[in-house]
Amino acid sequence: MNKCSSRKAAKAAGRCCTYFFCTVIAVLFIFPLVWMIVTSTKTEVQYASDLGSVRTFLPYLADLSTFFDNYGRVLTQYDIWKYAVNSLAYAACVVAGNVLVNALAGYVMAKFRFPGKSFISFIIMFLLIVPVETTIIPLYSIVHNLGISGTVLAVILPPIVSVFNIFLFQQFFYNISREYIEAAELDGASQLRIFFSIMIPLSMPIVATVATFAFIGVWNDYIWPTMVLPSPQPGEWPLYPIQAALTTIQSIENVTTGEVMASLVITSVPIFLIYVFAQKYIVEGIGAGGLKI
Amino acid sequence: MLLTSVAIIGVFLLVFAGFIVKDVIVVRRSAGKLERYSFKESLCSYLMLLPAVALICIFVLLPIIYSLGYAFTDYYLLRPDDVHFVFLDNFKDIISNISARGNVYNAIINTAKFVVFVVPLQIGMALGLALLVNKKLRGMGVFKVLFFAPVVISLTVTSFLWSRILGGGESGLLNSFLVKLGAESVSFLFEPQQSMYWIVLISAWQGCGYQMLIFLSGLKGIDATLYEAADLDGANVFLKFSAVTMPGLRSVLTFVIITVFIGACKIMVQPMLMTGNQSFTITLNYLMYIEGYTYRWVGYSSAIALLMTIVIGAITFLQRYLLKEED
Amino acid sequence: MKKFAVMLLTVLLALVLGLASFGCGNRENGENNSGENGPGNEQTQTPETDAGGNTIIEIMVHVAEQSAEGMAYKRVTDGFNASSEARDNKIRVRVNYQPRSTSATGYETILNGMLSQGNLPDIITFDAPNTWSYANSGILSDITDLISAETQEDFFEISKNTYQDRLYGLPIQESSAGIYYNKRIFREAGVLSPVENMTADDPWDIEMFEIICATLKNSGKCDLPVDLQLYKANDETATYLLYPFILAQGGSFLSEDGMTATGYFNSAATVNAFQKIRDWVNAGYTSYDASDVGFYTGKYAMYLSSGWSIPEIENQYASTLGEDWGILPYPQGTAKASATGSWSFGITTQASSPEKAAIVLKWLVSTDSSVTITDATGMIPARYSAIERKNYEAGSPEYVLYDQLVKTGRTRPGTIAYPEFTSTFQSVINALRNSNSASQVVQTFTSELQNNLNRYGK
Repeated sequence: MNKCSSRKAAKAAGRCCTYFFCTVIAVLFIFPLVWMIVTSTKTEVQYASDLGSVRTFLPYLADLSTFFDNYGRVLTQYDIWKYAVNSLAYAACVVAGNVLVNALAGYVMAKFRFPGKSFISFIIMFLLIVPVETTIIPLYSIVHNLGISGTVLAVILPPIVSVFNIFLFQQFFYNISREYIEAAELDGASQLRIFFSIMIPLSMPIVATVATFAFIGVWNDYIWPTMVLPSPQPGEWPLYPIQAALTTIQSIENVTTGEVMASLVITSVPIFLIYVFAQKYIVEGIGAGGLKI
Repeated sequence: MLLTSVAIIGVFLLVFAGFIVKDVIVVRRSAGKLERYSFKESLCSYLMLLPAVALICIFVLLPIIYSLGYAFTDYYLLRPDDVHFVFLDNFKDIISNISARGNVYNAIINTAKFVVFVVPLQIGMALGLALLVNKKLRGMGVFKVLFFAPVVISLTVTSFLWSRILGGGESGLLNSFLVKLGAESVSFLFEPQQSMYWIVLISAWQGCGYQMLIFLSGLKGIDATLYEAADLDGANVFLKFSAVTMPGLRSVLTFVIITVFIGACKIMVQPMLMTGNQSFTITLNYLMYIEGYTYRWVGYSSAIALLMTIVIGAITFLQRYLLKEED
Repeated sequence: MKKFAVMLLTVLLALVLGLASFGCGNRENGENNSGENGPGNEQTQTPETDAGGNTIIEIMVHVAEQSAEGMAYKRVTDGFNASSEARDNKIRVRVNYQPRSTSATGYETILNGMLSQGNLPDIITFDAPNTWSYANSGILSDITDLISAETQEDFFEISKNTYQDRLYGLPIQESSAGIYYNKRIFREAGVLSPVENMTADDPWDIEMFEIICATLKNSGKCDLPVDLQLYKANDETATYLLYPFILAQGGSFLSEDGMTATGYFNSAATVNAFQKIRDWVNAGYTSYDASDVGFYTGKYAMYLSSGWSIPEIENQYASTLGEDWGILPYPQGTAKASATGSWSFGITTQASSPEKAAIVLKWLVSTDSSVTITDATGMIPARYSAIERKNYEAGSPEYVLYDQLVKTGRTRPGTIAYPEFTSTFQSVINALRNSNSASQVVQTFTSELQNNLNRYGK
């Protein structure tokens, strides 16, 4: 009896320890984000007076009249919602294309046997390694010569393919048993049908992962879209993505810390939402057991 | 431009065709030891690879080949129509810069420092968090989400936040507390001795959530009966970790090491946004950016990119070789 | 199967949205995409025309449309489109706002992309120190003969964008910097009277500046005597604000042709001037970790900044500073120098019709436009006729800046390697944060700069 209860007590203590430990780490992990959100609701004076005390991390609740002022200014002064709609449209196209194209390639690389496969593998590894920061000007030349600069295709097509995602899909598909495919082949299903009705549904976790990161990529991109898209003209729907509008806000003189933080929150919120929706899949998704290299 | 592009893609396809022929011949010569390729399966593969390969060729491979090709030219950004082939001049300049301990030398040292510290730290943190979150306790899902949260925030936003947090003087968040406590204000990001380590910490903070999830899925894949067997043998926590967990995570670990390593070698945004061009934080990728866009010497910048590719590639293949051999 | 259906729906939705936005995006598909244009074919573009047969002159500017400056540009260009000038010459102006982002050089990257494809806009804005490299690389066209001598003479000599004695651009406005000071703190520390009526003709010297800093520091009336914005050492602000200190103390940066740094950047006078900045930090006169609103909130006695801080103080910090502030000229030494140089308009070599672009350019920098724009930005017009119209009150902050500009203004060094120069300058300022020896720092960076300059000779 005694022994049993002491073991229980030890277990409870261990559990408490784990929770405490997790909480401490979680605080360290998210305090910058909490700070960002809290600051976005403060005026410059409130922000300055709270600096250096715990109140920095607490919203200013004594006077709620100015609570959403920063958001109000950021959202109403500039047609930010139009830009957000653009970004969502671009992201939807890129996400759909990205998942399809890369999953198909990853599937082939993982499950098919064909001559020349080693070369494709090599190319994927090579492209994973090369630093790409300086390729924007050659890419611009190519897009321009294709005749698609100035159209939204220039924003949608290049980010559709991603070698990292092909790599990720490939690793994931390794672990899906060949039996599924063989059974479907016996039923006379075409390869495309197998891919769409077996592989994709089986790999929803990895699809969610890739989709989320593709979305983040498009949502955060700024220089490339402003390079290839025509600038907004009065009276016409702008084509620029949301980051262009946010950069505009941040480049305007006299913005307060709170306003900058508010625009950062606006940038991050959709990503958060997407992530919260997708996270159930993501958690099972990345890697999914026994990755092979 | 058009001709060159067609030529580059042509060469790519020729090499691909060469590999196809080679593979087919190897199978033929093996006299039945290797399974023959199925024509239908191969054709199907090529068709399904087509969208990805076509897009890669146009939007990824071509720009990279151009950019690497510039390494042998004197391409100056403002004179795109006046480019000359200079063979190895850019590489000679890089070597003389390194031997004179110039900024390339600094960049190599800083990048190496970053990689050496961030790879074990980030992977260690990720593994630790994964083990923690993997405990079958209520509420762990919430912690999992919290630990992963920094991953989805853009680098620009986190860099901005951390430079405000670590900023010097009373306006820096951390310093505002230190000063209240009576300490001297320190501009953490501008102390040559500390700066790079702060960047290491911040990068690990932001990145480790991703690897945590990879480890987590690896942990889920480990056969639970192995732990039960170890329990029966009276193994302690550490023994279980080294005898069951680590071997179970081998392949996942290989994947994580390689991807984190490649990512770490390419660090650029954090030093660029948080400290700017400083001798103690400049990294290779950032230097490449400065040389190519700020100073406009695209040729020289491309030469650095080419050297980086070769070195990272060599180390990656060495890693793969070493990690595989022990299997 | 249910998940599959969701997936399918997503794809369909994406395609519909994609096509819809593609529909609205297709119109801008320019004529210049035939595929044969290699990178940087510097062909003159066929003039683009609108429905009314007007030639479209495209202007790319570096500010946001919603900023005070952007809105002023909008007023100026809208005014042009409605004018008889536009009607008679059949011109329509279109403005492309590409704000420079804080982190990256967005505006320049976009410019470089356009350059590589030969589709630069007709008119661009550029920062004055870029004149040499843009002119030398054939981005800007020589407008000496397109602008009448009379108009040219109306601009300050120092503000014109010349390279090898030819004109390549005209300034939107001029800028000068000065030392903002808080009169209340000066009064309390008992140092107001020596500086109150100082003018550019009879400025203070470095010694006096140091004495006043010391007095302010010892008086305990302020947290910091002077904020030199050393924390901005990573961008052009540092070079722009601090180079006059070096020049005023007899320092130099580059040879006349802008290709030699050795013997100039590391001359004894330059080293001593940089050392002074470090000494001021050591003495507690200024700090690398100052707060960028310290002066505005009344905590710092002095603040080195450009004219763009005037509207900021008037609009946002009237409660803390009120009318109790002014601007002092740069302290001078053996030579005289103060900051100059702002953004300018120039016509690109790829302009479809240089003559029509010149008509627009003249409008953009006209006396009226100068007044409109400088009213919004708080900066100084760069032409005498506009100065007359502004009619600055003697002793006002704007007058001090204008007076100083025409009397002691000196440009940043002319060189086609300006990015390398300014980066070296900033590196020196950065390195002085952690080093007490300016001579060692300057030597290191001068040799690096010289190596970088030598690349241009090859």
